[in-house]
Amino acid sequence: MESSSSTMDRVNFRTQILTRHLQNHHIPPTDLIHTAPCVNYSPPELSEPLANFDTKSLRKLLDGKSIDVIDHMFNLMIQSNLFCPRERGGKVFVSPDFNQSMEQQREMTMKRIDYLREQGAFDGWFSRKGDDGELWRFALAETVSVFDHSLGIKLGVHFFLWGGAIRFMGTKRHHDKWFKPTETFEVRGIETVTRYDARTEEFIISTPCESAQKYWIGGAANHATHTVVFSQLEINGVNEGVHAFIAQIRDADGNICPNVRIADCGHKIGLNGVDNGRIWFDNLRIPRENLLNSVADVSPDGQYLTAIKDPDQRFAAFLAPLTSGRVTIAASSMNTAKVGLAIAIRYSLSRRAFSIRPNEPEVLLLDYPSHQRRLLPLLAKTYALSFASNYLKMIYVKRTPASIKTVHVVSSALKATENHVGHLKSEYDVQLTFEGDNNVLMQQISKALLAEFLAAKKRNKPVRGLGLEHLNKPAPIIPSQLTSSTLRTTQFQTDIFCLRERDLLHRFVKEVSEHQALGESKEHIFTVTYQLAEDLGRAFSDRLILQTFLDVEATVPAGSLKDVLGLMRSMYTTILIEEDASFLRYGYLSTDNAAVVRKEVMKLCSELRPYALSLVSSLGIPDAFLAPIAFNWVDANSWSSV
Amino acid sequence: MAPTTQVLLKESSHVRTIILNRPKQLNALSLEMVSRLLELFHAYEEDPNVKLIILKSEGRAFCAGGDVTAVVKDINKGNWKLGAKFFSTEFTLNYLMATYTKPQVSLLRGIVMGGGGGVSVHGRFRVATDNSVFAMPETELGLFPDVGASYYLSRLPGFFGEYVGLTGARLDGAEMLACGLATHFVPLEKLSLLEDALCKANTGDPKIICSIINEFSGTPKLKEKSQYFRLKTINRCFSRRTVEEIISAIEKEASKNMDDWITWTIQSLKKASPTSLKISLRSIREGRLQGVGQCLIREYRMVCTVMRGEFSRDFFEGCRALLLDKDKNPKWEPSKLELVSDHMVDQYFAAKDDEDWEDLKLPPRSNLPSHAIAKL
Repeated sequence: MESSSSTMDRVNFRTQILTRHLQNHHIPPTDLIHTAPCVNYSPPELSEPLANFDTKSLRKLLDGKSIDVIDHMFNLMIQSNLFCPRERGGKVFVSPDFNQSMEQQREMTMKRIDYLREQGAFDGWFSRKGDDGELWRFALAETVSVFDHSLGIKLGVHFFLWGGAIRFMGTKRHHDKWFKPTETFEVRGIETVTRYDARTEEFIISTPCESAQKYWIGGAANHATHTVVFSQLEINGVNEGVHAFIAQIRDADGNICPNVRIADCGHKIGLNGVDNGRIWFDNLRIPRENLLNSVADVSPDGQYLTAIKDPDQRFAAFLAPLTSGRVTIAASSMNTAKVGLAIAIRYSLSRRAFSIRPNEPEVLLLDYPSHQRRLLPLLAKTYALSFASNYLKMIYVKRTPASIKTVHVVSSALKATENHVGHLKSEYDVQLTFEGDNNVLMQQISKALLAEFLAAKKRNKPVRGLGLEHLNKPAPIIPSQLTSSTLRTTQFQTDIFCLRERDLLHRFVKEVSEHQALGESKEHIFTVTYQLAEDLGRAFSDRLILQTFLDVEATVPAGSLKDVLGLMRSMYTTILIEEDASFLRYGYLSTDNAAVVRKEVMKLCSELRPYALSLVSSLGIPDAFLAPIAFNWVDANSWSSV
Repeated sequence: MAPTTQVLLKESSHVRTIILNRPKQLNALSLEMVSRLLELFHAYEEDPNVKLIILKSEGRAFCAGGDVTAVVKDINKGNWKLGAKFFSTEFTLNYLMATYTKPQVSLLRGIVMGGGGGVSVHGRFRVATDNSVFAMPETELGLFPDVGASYYLSRLPGFFGEYVGLTGARLDGAEMLACGLATHFVPLEKLSLLEDALCKANTGDPKIICSIINEFSGTPKLKEKSQYFRLKTINRCFSRRTVEEIISAIEKEASKNMDDWITWTIQSLKKASPTSLKISLRSIREGRLQGVGQCLIREYRMVCTVMRGEFSRDFFEGCRALLLDKDKNPKWEPSKLELVSDHMVDQYFAAKDDEDWEDLKLPPRSNLPSHAIAKL
């Protein structure tokens, strides 16, 4: 039974509500959500601080004498419809249409190559001499990769692998016959690597069993007319090792030659502009002259002739073309990183999300420390690796028989390291494996370091080569308490990288010799010591890259450019120390110092932040090769652009 | 700055019509004119009452270019910095027009050359007509296509921009429309009707303005022998990396089929100042990869180098031969392409080491519409 007062409460309450309804009182809605003005795009150029260093000079450090040919290639690609120009948000962008079918992508790649050839882009490929000629070749191939990696690879396979094999492994008669048609693409070259048998003075190439088929051969599926076949050569019952032969696999009309079978590797996760194929040879006969005979020859009456008695040395002589491929492919993956970072950083300089305090403008993405951590260390790594790429190209170009091994080791190191920075996912997988699986490359580096070290010990001489001279000095000492200013000194940075390399090398030597004492074979030892080998390989690469960065810095006079380079270098070293487990694992850092390093990363990011736009502009990638999201993304996404 | 008779104004509610008024000099832009235009454009941008600007001219020419004879006279009197004032004002005006927040309609009766392109092509709407003649003839004069031409020429189809900039080719109204220098073509007799309609509509809405111009527009047919039909050959030749390679590519075409157009093209290139050809080509190629502001800043460096005359005095020789003495026989120095070194060319693009000199300072811009943002 309700009390009379609660009944009255209820009645009063009800009356109040009805009164409000009848009188239509205006009750302001609670202001939890209010409309904000529409988001406008503001270009970072108008709000970011002006560069205090000369962006052109920084570009010159990256691209050097190649700026001319690089920018000209950009000009050629931007102005042709074959490169799919599209207008978004008032700007024109060029990018391949990945929605096209595999067949269409392959055809477009060939058409783009034909266009560039017609514009004379490749004229003089073989006649340009000296260092400048080599650098010109590299720059050409790397720049087309900025547009589409498939295009770069197709070009690379034709000019560096096929063309390179003819250049280095062939002699005058091959140059005279094959250079011109290669430049004009009358022959379309590919190259295959194999361990097959080729017999008789006429050379009969055959694929003896299914496991011997050539696989993933770029250009084989559709377009290639000729190939360089790597094959075991048996003369008079003796296996003389691997040699290279020119074989025609298609005629001028595109029909596959008799005694050659080709299958298509089909659709891939990425790089569908390259028509990869598989090849079988069924006793294909080729003329004796088709042996690329710069190193060895077979006389008409079947005598094997060579100046290099040792078959391993002879084989090493064949590796040069493959190294050039590795050099340029490593550098091309840097271009991928540059494009990705330019887009991401530009976007993060114009996109805002959430305010820290009410009624304040929302915060730019790149003003968030966590976002800085995502992008700015990568930018520093990209610069570091670009400088290292340039170094690699220089030592490749100036190589001598004595220095070839260094070139090989350095190219392995950089190729494996650079692939971890370039991050267009669909092309990433192949980057890890082609031109040498990264794990294998790391092991090769460790073997080379081991050999160098042991050889010096045996001769009782100081270690020389591969930058290992620091091993001859006493071990560097790392201060027990690190500070922010210590972390920025070149002394500390070089010391800790050298210390890691030194210590890991000693551990590796020790582990290998322990296994040897147990009587295990060399091959087995190297397979079970892969963990240390990888750590050591990485230590070597990082130290080498730091060294090249310092060398570049040294060429710049004191001033704002030098300062920003120093900042990036510290970012590079500090992030590696923070990320690589081996510093803690092997005790080069105490846990306290690791904490200092971690804090320093944040500090460096915030110091680099004001330079982000200028650093990205200095990469020299034209706007058309980036993406709409890096510019006026509001307009680019507008309904009217659908 | 006081009003000048060289620039006349008409106000009609929200529309301002600016009229270039130096018909005896074919409306060549003097310092007075560019200063006045800069002042007006700044004022009109701030004025909420102004929604549309129409630019046209008195007499039979739209604008024959910047008044370079005056510049040369000034330089000969004092030093090159007097000339620099003209160009810095003109280029600032070009930048303002390129990034303007309100629509500009230019009515291009008669010749539109050099600086005349600079005050019209950067605007939103360019109306060509039956007697329009467009050209960037600077290489004949020992100069180079400036006024932001490295921005707009490089964005013409294929390598037509290089062709126009290096040869000084004359384009008629139909060709201007075909390549995009003009946005519309309106027959001569309908131009004043168009003007009236724009004033009557009294709007700054680009869509409405465009549809009004469309009502009066036609699609003129290209002449049978139009150079625009030679685009394929132009692209093949003018895409080459160097001036020498461009010339030998055209000569190769000539050996296959000689005709008047090829002859004329080769002659123009051979008559032009070799230094001008090289710096113009590089300017257009760099401009293709830059925003309009960067283009103007770079062109300002180049024009200051030209005026200083350290590497070549072709600009002065060109003005003498073509504009003053009119003997049409300039003696270029260096006289041949191979005597113009890469190092020399580099100097035109470098900052000047002069304590009083500084890079062109363009005004900060804000709240730009998206079509202007796209040009940055």
